[in-house]
Amino acid sequence: MRINNESNLLPSRDSTTPEQLSDEILAARVARGDSAALEALYDRHASAVLGVLLKVIGERATAEDALQETFWRVWKSASTYESARGSFTGWLFRIARNLAIDAFRRMNVRPQTLSSPDDVDALSDRTSAPDADVPAQAQADFRNRQVRSALASLPKVQRQVIELAYFYGMTRQEIAEATGEALGTIHTRARLGLQKLREELEREEFEG
Amino acid sequence: MDRQTIEELLPFYALDALTDEERELVEAYLREHPEARRQVDEMRKAASVLPQSASPVEPSPRTKAALLARVAVDEGSRVSNDVGRGAHERPRAARWVNIFQAFGLGAATVAILWAVVLNVQLSYLREQVATLNQALVAQSNALEQINQQLAQPPASETVTISLKGTDIQPRARGQLIADPKNNSAVLVISGLDQLEAGKTYQVWLIDASGAKSAGLLSVDTKGQAVLIVTSDATIGSFRSLGISVEPEGGSQQPTGEIVVLSDL
Repeated sequence: MRINNESNLLPSRDSTTPEQLSDEILAARVARGDSAALEALYDRHASAVLGVLLKVIGERATAEDALQETFWRVWKSASTYESARGSFTGWLFRIARNLAIDAFRRMNVRPQTLSSPDDVDALSDRTSAPDADVPAQAQADFRNRQVRSALASLPKVQRQVIELAYFYGMTRQEIAEATGEALGTIHTRARLGLQKLREELEREEFEG
Repeated sequence: MDRQTIEELLPFYALDALTDEERELVEAYLREHPEARRQVDEMRKAASVLPQSASPVEPSPRTKAALLARVAVDEGSRVSNDVGRGAHERPRAARWVNIFQAFGLGAATVAILWAVVLNVQLSYLREQVATLNQALVAQSNALEQINQQLAQPPASETVTISLKGTDIQPRARGQLIADPKNNSAVLVISGLDQLEAGKTYQVWLIDASGAKSAGLLSVDTKGQAVLIVTSDATIGSFRSLGISVEPEGGSQQPTGEIVVLSDL
C-alpha cells in the first residue's frame, strides 16, 4: 500500500510540525512536492547517511556530494517509495549505499575493511551536531552502540565478508578473490555471520 | 543451478550483493520455497541494521544549502508548468491567473538561469572528462599490475601499513600493502598537494645505510596516486618509507621536503 492519505493517521495538519511526523508521512508529503518535509527528513537522517557514505567512500568531499545526491533522489523519487514494502530508512539507506558503492568503485581503492578487518571502531570519534535533538540523538547513539557491539562479537573473518558485501557491494566471487579464500568458505562465513548477528541483536533486545 | 547452489546465494541476496542474474534466480526460487523465504527475511532483518554500525557524521551546512537550492529551482519549474495548465483550465479566475502568470514568469526566469548554469557546468564537466580520460590511461598500467598482484594467492604474511603526512602536508595519508618477505608492494596514497612544474614526488625506502629510491609518484588532480613499489631487498628489511619533493626525473638521494614519513 502506498501512502497517499495521511488524514486518518495524524492530528490535524495545522497543529503538527514536520519534525513531529513519522518518516513515512514525511515521505508521502515529499512525494506531493513538500520541500519542508524533505528538509525535516534531511535534518533527521543526514548525519547517519553521511556516516555510512564516509565509511565506504572514505573521502569527505565525495561523501558530502553523495549525501546531497541521496536526498535529491528522495525528492525526485519519493512517489516510488511504498511503506508496505519496508521502512523509509531502509529505502533511504539503500539509495545511499548504491551511491557509495558507485563512488567507491570509481575511486579504485581497496576497501578499508580489507586492510583492517578488526577496526569496527575506526570511525567512532566522529562528532554529531551540537544542536541535535538530544533524546533522539541519545537513542540513535544507543542503537549505534548495540549494532557495533553485535558486529564486534562476530569472528573477524565473518564480519569482513559481511562488510565487504554490504558496504562495498562486492560479489561473493570478488570477496573470494580479494581475501584469497575458497568460494565455499565465503558462503559459510556470510551465512554464519548473519546468523550470529541476528542472535546477538536479539540477545541485546535491539529495536531498530 | 541446483538447490544447494541457490541456497548458498541466500545470505548474499539478504546483503543485496548478487549479480542481476543471480538475484533473478533467487527470487524465482523464493517464490516456490516459503521456508527459504523465511530464512531470507531473518537474514535481511539482521542486514538492515548494518547502516547503524557507522557513526553519524554531521554534514557541512553547505551540503544542505545546495540541496535546498536545487529543490527550490525544481519547485519553481513545477509551479511554472502547473500554472501554464491552470490558466487554460480556469479562464474565469482571471485575477488568480494573472497572479499565477506573474509567478510563472518568475519561475521561468529561474529555470532559464538554471539552464545557463547547467550549460556552464556541462562545459566544465566535459573538460573534466577529457582530463580524467588522460589520467585513466596513465593509471591503467599501474592498476593492471595491482590486479595481477591481487590475483595471486595472497600470502598469509601480507600486512597493511598506514602512512601519514608530515607537518608539511598533514592531509596526506595512505597505505602500503606488502608481504615483508617480498621485494615489491602496493602503495596507495591520497591528499597530496599539486606540485609546481618541474617537481615530482619520489618514494624512498629507508634502512640503516640510507634511502633507496622506490619510484616516482604520478599524482592525479585529486591528489591520489598508486605505485608498485619495488626494491632489490625485501620490504621487511627497511625501517621506514618516505616521500619527498624532488626535481622532475627524481634524485639519487632525498633533497627536497619530506611530505610523508612512516615506520614500516
